[in-house]
Amino acid sequence: MSRLPRPNMTVPAPGALAVAAVLGTALTVVLDMALLWWVALVIGVAVAFALVVWSGPLVSDERRAGAGGTREEGTVLHETLVVPTALVLSVLAGLLTAWFLDLSLVEPVAAALGALLGSVLAFVLFHRLSAMLALSFAAVLAAGILAVVVTAAVLHFSGIPPLATFERMLEYGSRPDSLVRIVNDGTTYYLAAVAVAIGFKMKLFNIGVDGQYRLAALLAAAVGGYIMLPPVLSQIVIVVTAVAVGGMWAGIAGYLKVARGVSEVISTIMLNSIATGITAYLLSTDRLAVEISTNNIGTPPMPESSWVPGIPATFLGSDQKIFGFVFLAVAVGIGYWVMLNRTRFGFELRATGQSQTAAEASGVNVKKMVFLSMLFSGMVAGLVGLPQLLGSSHYYALDFPTGIGFIGIAIALLGRNHPVGIVFASLFWAFLSQASGILPFDGIPQEIAVISQATIVLTVVVVYEVVHRWGRRYQQQQIGKQLGTTAGKDPQTVPSAPEGTTAEGGDDTAPESDGKRGGEAQ
Amino acid sequence: MSSTPSGGGAPEPPAVELRGITKRFPGVVANHDIDITVAPGTVHAIVGENGAGKSTLMKTLYGMHKPDEGQIHVKGQEVRFGSPSDAIRHGIGMVHQHFMLADNFTVLENVVLGAERRFGIGSRARTKIRELSDQYGLGVDPDRLMEDLGVGERQRVEILKVLYRGAQTIILDEPTAVLVPQEVDELFDNLRELKREGLTVIFISHKLDEVLSVADEITVIRRGTTVATADPGTTTARELATLMVGGELPVPELRESTVTDHVVLSLEGVTVHSSEGRAVVDGIGLDIRRGEIVGIAGVEGNGQSELIEAIMGMRPLVSGRLTLEGQDISDWSTLRIREAGVGYIPEDRHRHGVLLESPLWENRILGHQTKEPSVRGPWIDRAGARADSERIVAEYDVRTPDIDVIADALSGGNQQKFIIGREMSGSPRFLVAAHPTRGVDVGAQAAIWEQLREARAAGLAVLLISADLDELIGMSDTLHVILRGRLVAQADPTTVTPEQLGSAMTGAGLGGDDASTEGEGGAHE
Repeated sequence: MSRLPRPNMTVPAPGALAVAAVLGTALTVVLDMALLWWVALVIGVAVAFALVVWSGPLVSDERRAGAGGTREEGTVLHETLVVPTALVLSVLAGLLTAWFLDLSLVEPVAAALGALLGSVLAFVLFHRLSAMLALSFAAVLAAGILAVVVTAAVLHFSGIPPLATFERMLEYGSRPDSLVRIVNDGTTYYLAAVAVAIGFKMKLFNIGVDGQYRLAALLAAAVGGYIMLPPVLSQIVIVVTAVAVGGMWAGIAGYLKVARGVSEVISTIMLNSIATGITAYLLSTDRLAVEISTNNIGTPPMPESSWVPGIPATFLGSDQKIFGFVFLAVAVGIGYWVMLNRTRFGFELRATGQSQTAAEASGVNVKKMVFLSMLFSGMVAGLVGLPQLLGSSHYYALDFPTGIGFIGIAIALLGRNHPVGIVFASLFWAFLSQASGILPFDGIPQEIAVISQATIVLTVVVVYEVVHRWGRRYQQQQIGKQLGTTAGKDPQTVPSAPEGTTAEGGDDTAPESDGKRGGEAQ
Repeated sequence: MSSTPSGGGAPEPPAVELRGITKRFPGVVANHDIDITVAPGTVHAIVGENGAGKSTLMKTLYGMHKPDEGQIHVKGQEVRFGSPSDAIRHGIGMVHQHFMLADNFTVLENVVLGAERRFGIGSRARTKIRELSDQYGLGVDPDRLMEDLGVGERQRVEILKVLYRGAQTIILDEPTAVLVPQEVDELFDNLRELKREGLTVIFISHKLDEVLSVADEITVIRRGTTVATADPGTTTARELATLMVGGELPVPELRESTVTDHVVLSLEGVTVHSSEGRAVVDGIGLDIRRGEIVGIAGVEGNGQSELIEAIMGMRPLVSGRLTLEGQDISDWSTLRIREAGVGYIPEDRHRHGVLLESPLWENRILGHQTKEPSVRGPWIDRAGARADSERIVAEYDVRTPDIDVIADALSGGNQQKFIIGREMSGSPRFLVAAHPTRGVDVGAQAAIWEQLREARAAGLAVLLISADLDELIGMSDTLHVILRGRLVAQADPTTVTPEQLGSAMTGAGLGGDDASTEGEGGAHE
């Protein structure tokens, strides 16, 4: 690309962006007439990307600095990693968008819109994607491929054709009804994962999300079933109950940690067992439960005025409904992000998680932070059961889903505790669970999905950690090079004479030469 | 420093020879151009201040990391160590400062752990341990339980472990730090025994009197490089001290006194206990005035860290009072003390001063998370924090591409300059500066001194704690000596010499009323 001739001029960034977007979209529309839509789209976006790369040096400067603070364009890492990652990401985003829009729009329009998004992303990613972020994406991509390979190997050695199996899962998983299920499950998983992630950010391991949400859901269901309140107020009371119960249950672990130094891992595991005991005790016809069907008991079903209406999923081509609480999950995600990145509390939370000693020396009350983050984690955990409770089952019975807290741990790990990362992780997780539902019909064990899930968590955690460490060292080297103050020159300026007589000279010259080099780098 | 080329036909090649060893970490040079020749059958001491690069060097020799430049020769042959097991294979063993022993195991089990293949784990190993113990006079019984042994005995087990693995050269990293004087004498007897049996000992320390009494040859390391090799027979502790701290390095002096009589911080009978209930800071009384820098000199571990932590509200006072501008702050929280205008340059910046994985501008907020311009109410003011970070980077000459770089990517000196800029912002009334120039290159050091001087002229009261005696003498208006948690002497920084200060720090001289026996030898030779 870089060897092609370029006109000697500069292009404003919006102009270049527009050219790339128009080219990508137009090409896709034209090719769509002759080829399959996705082939057309891949070619269109790829050509747009090529244009972006070619015109890169022409675009005015200020948009071209990497977010990591280093000037990355032209470095080896940028060319070998960031550019390919940007290309793959923009093509993938274009394809996914087009496929998704295709469910409700006509195909050429969907393909064109997908290509438009892909081309815009091509420009933005090429110019703005920092090496560190690209590394993370590449790590996740690599881990995904590794997980697929492992799963394929397991299938192969079990005598099942891997490709056919994957194809079957993809096909079933992308059916409209499956999509609704994926979004619904994903909503629940998302809340659980955010609850876990709040703890993780503090280096607290809240294993007790499971117990917290089950207890919270049971008591919230009981409140909804026994106390008749007008609509809206009823839902608010139910949500508040769930949040309060979840917060209290996790707060016990937080209090024990702060006051008695009990490891939160131990106490939350114990509290899970106790929660199981309490729910079993309360869920009996002598106490909170009534008979729901011949062999199921649960809390009395809530009146319809307490339900949270679903969103009809006709735009996906399904007649099922998406949980209304998907908006609650979105709100929680935004709240989590704002809290973490924009508030003093979030700053103190991250600081404590990164270095407890530094936080303490900076006047952060670490004990208070431990207690509060445990409390918040539990409060979010209290919400986990609600989409199911208010959106679909309307009572807490023996068959209420369990184990979501543990899924939340895996998803938080997979999403790197990032509010957006967790979205993808929980949808992906839900997809695997849902898509594997078809396998038993073909005589393939459904546990294949569990193997994939486990492998991908392991590989993501390991690969990400390795890549992250390597990336940090790389960044340090880059900065050292830029500043020209790396160790390399020090032996010359710092006196190495045995008796230190030239030390005075070193004292004088070092800052000067540093200043010059620093200036050049700027 | 003889630099005979390897294989030069000398009858007995040096046990260990290090030539031109350079080890870099991102942004800093831990070691450069190290040249050391250790003759076989000797005790070779390597002395230097904390942070001078001794440990880095020994880690290089023990194969814990690879040098960036230079060669290691063992018995005349060039070697490259990929891991400690390579070093052990070449007969180099290391006894770490912190023992690596399992309490619930016996001596035998501890010794064979990881070296089961040498002599098995049964009677053959037991016989071998007895044999070694007798040969070197270590007096170790293989069947005793580790938790029943005292510190000195545990150390001998560590030495035995190394011998058991066939070491010919033993590195001892600050072995006396954990011992009481009698145990030190016993250790030295053991070392002489090892030497008599033909083994070579590399002895790392910063305690000069000990080094002089046991070593055959001394190499001094300062700022990451070898500055001299001395013969203990003809060198005095004073000369060694000068070599170690670099007494000739010119320290910028304070120009004129800016001390006023307005007391900013006042300490009365401040006492702090360690977790075991021992008084680590014992009845300290001190006044620090506007425009005054009060220096505290002392051997590390004599209560300086605890004193700082008490002032910063990180450690409760057992008795005594802290008064800031007339207000009793004895039971205030760290946050409240910081909000009242106390800046803090911590002694360990990585543990207490920065968030290594956060960008610079977020580090600007740290410790100032309730104050403008970084925070508005419960919200982080990103624009304010970023703008002020830019100001610090410009004013304090922090060498960084921009403020989005993570703190870990900067060199120690630049991290320190950023911390100082941060702590000076919001015009503090009082500053705790602990080792402000430790691990900082020469250029940054001068800049930091200049900033402290400017702040002092502007009326800042400073408590300066440092291991660099020249820095203390050059920067302080008033100078106190701390020993075992008490202020034992006050010196006039205009007349005192580093040697006088050094002897006062060990409890002798300078009118110190708390003269002790240990350390006296070093000061009065």
